[in-house]
Amino acid sequence: MKIQAFQTGSLSESIVAFAQYVRTHGLNVGIQETQDALHAAELGLMAERPSFKQSLKALFCTSPEECMVFDQLFMQFWDTNPIDLQQQKSKVNIQGSVNRKSKASVVMLGQGHTTGKLDEDARNVSGANAAERLKKTDLSLLTEMEASQLEEIARKLCREMAVRMRRRLKQHPRKGVPDLRRTVRHSISYGGEPIKLFHRMNTPKKQRLIVFLDISGSMDKYSLFLLRFICALRDHFRQLEAFVFSTTLKRISRGLQARQLETVVKNIHDHTDHWSGGTRIGECLQQFIDMYGKRMLNGSPTIIVLSDGLDTGDVSKLGEALAHMHARSKRIVWLNPLKGMKDYQPLARGMQAAMPSIDDFRSAHNLESLLELENILSHA
Amino acid sequence: MDELNKPEQLSAWLEEARYVADPDMLTSLFLLLKLRKPLLLEGPPGVGKTESAIVLSSLLDVPLIRLQCYEGLDISSAVYEWNYQRQLLAIRMQETSQMSVSEKEQKIFGEEYLLKRPLLQAITQTEKSPVLLIDELDRSDEEFEAFLLELLSAFQITIPELGTIRATHKPYVILTSNRTRELSDALKRRCLYHWIGYPGLEKEMSIVQKRLPGIEPSLLEAVVKQVQSFRQQRLSKTPGISETIDWAESLMALGHRSLNNRAIEETLGAILKSSEDIELIRSQMTESV
Repeated sequence: MKIQAFQTGSLSESIVAFAQYVRTHGLNVGIQETQDALHAAELGLMAERPSFKQSLKALFCTSPEECMVFDQLFMQFWDTNPIDLQQQKSKVNIQGSVNRKSKASVVMLGQGHTTGKLDEDARNVSGANAAERLKKTDLSLLTEMEASQLEEIARKLCREMAVRMRRRLKQHPRKGVPDLRRTVRHSISYGGEPIKLFHRMNTPKKQRLIVFLDISGSMDKYSLFLLRFICALRDHFRQLEAFVFSTTLKRISRGLQARQLETVVKNIHDHTDHWSGGTRIGECLQQFIDMYGKRMLNGSPTIIVLSDGLDTGDVSKLGEALAHMHARSKRIVWLNPLKGMKDYQPLARGMQAAMPSIDDFRSAHNLESLLELENILSHA
Repeated sequence: MDELNKPEQLSAWLEEARYVADPDMLTSLFLLLKLRKPLLLEGPPGVGKTESAIVLSSLLDVPLIRLQCYEGLDISSAVYEWNYQRQLLAIRMQETSQMSVSEKEQKIFGEEYLLKRPLLQAITQTEKSPVLLIDELDRSDEEFEAFLLELLSAFQITIPELGTIRATHKPYVILTSNRTRELSDALKRRCLYHWIGYPGLEKEMSIVQKRLPGIEPSLLEAVVKQVQSFRQQRLSKTPGISETIDWAESLMALGHRSLNNRAIEETLGAILKSSEDIELIRSQMTESV
């Protein structure tokens, strides 16, 4: 355990120790911040507790969420009594550890392990063909080994996809408003004659993506792979927000940054009570609008919903929430794994309620269908 | 202005300037003044983020330089721009002179052809440190945010034609954001951070009282209580303090001395800014009758 306030000898020592303490708990505090904190202490701000706490908070925190963590850490660090400490040896760990990952992945894989025969088939087919075949295989029929192969393919294709999209953003040399700055600069070499006229134009930005993944029971067979797919997307779209939902909503954007799927799965497992349970899509989307709407539903993001639309909650809520999101986004793409089945009709009540607000309704049962996303995403 | 030693001193000064701040805010402002680090204020609209910068500048008796951010804000409207028309004229006039090309260039890219925009103005003040307000930073794009990094950490701006310009007097920088998007970690690390939320009943009453000294106590309490209850509801636009002040002011202007249904009906537009919200509150009012 890191040292705490009562173990240090002087105030500056405890401030440095505190900086280290909050750093180990996920706050982004560097040497500069520590120096500033010491400086603030010199200014006489440590005399009273509230002002001391607030000045450290102003220096160390960068968001309301961090402020909440800080309050907790501040109390833990400065108020811990050595006597209490011996009684409760189980320490508070905010980040959570990763050692239970095996359990989590079993939950997520659903029925993945059972198909030994397909596994053999996969080994018998040679490279290129296998890749082609894998792309077309229904995700629910994949074995674990294939799943990781497929993830590799997805990663590669996503990389290509992102590059292709970037090339499309090139600037037109003859369109847009004249760029006087460059024109004048250039004209000097001709003795002041603006021979060549330069132009400037707004370059289209890479779009922002918001992805919602359904992890309810009915999606069990697909959710792990779709999660991997989101992970792969994450590498290539800088502005990607990801959420998982079943009966409640959970934001996983931060976790995806670590690129450790196991941690993400574990995290979801810990925080969602109803993993592989029922679905209340409407309520979850409403929750999103309330908590994140103001921050994320601006600048016309593209929204992707990965769900089968089997809603057990209030269907009218789903319609309302989706209409609200539709008004504030560029487009809503609904990817439904069931659509890959023959003769599928969007008859589920949830799907019916959602249809009016959906711009693009597609299947998501194999990799090939997922890669069609490129066409959707490139029409920025 | 006397020497500033404690956050509490600020409190009295701000009080005079009709700005009510809680102790946390005072500490942040104190650190801004002492450490000269930029202060990032976040919070919902209308809770006094911009106002704090205006008050601070009048308190210190220094100029306020304000940069309103918007999407597509670029260097030429935020930092500097060359006066191209003058430059072109100057080039014409130099045609007959015997100067060499490099001399001509040096002349054309001199300070007299430079148009200073807010950020450059802020670091070239000759007498006192100004207050620089960078308002609604979340509206600008990431490229601009990245540009600010140099300014906020080193207080300098590089102009390729002139070289690096260092601040002679470090400005007091206040950045505000409504949190419509996350700002980058790099930027946040260079700033002090303070979140301003909606105030409690007593604080809001004292704010309105400061702004509208003529208000009757009973009306004041009724208005603020009503606004606080509005905030509890799920409205599409939650009213801020500035709306409370507007509302109280319009009630006073119409000669209302208490908050009855007719008074609310007449002035609802001053506090609620969306038709759905107005309808919702109206239907609630008719229900209660």
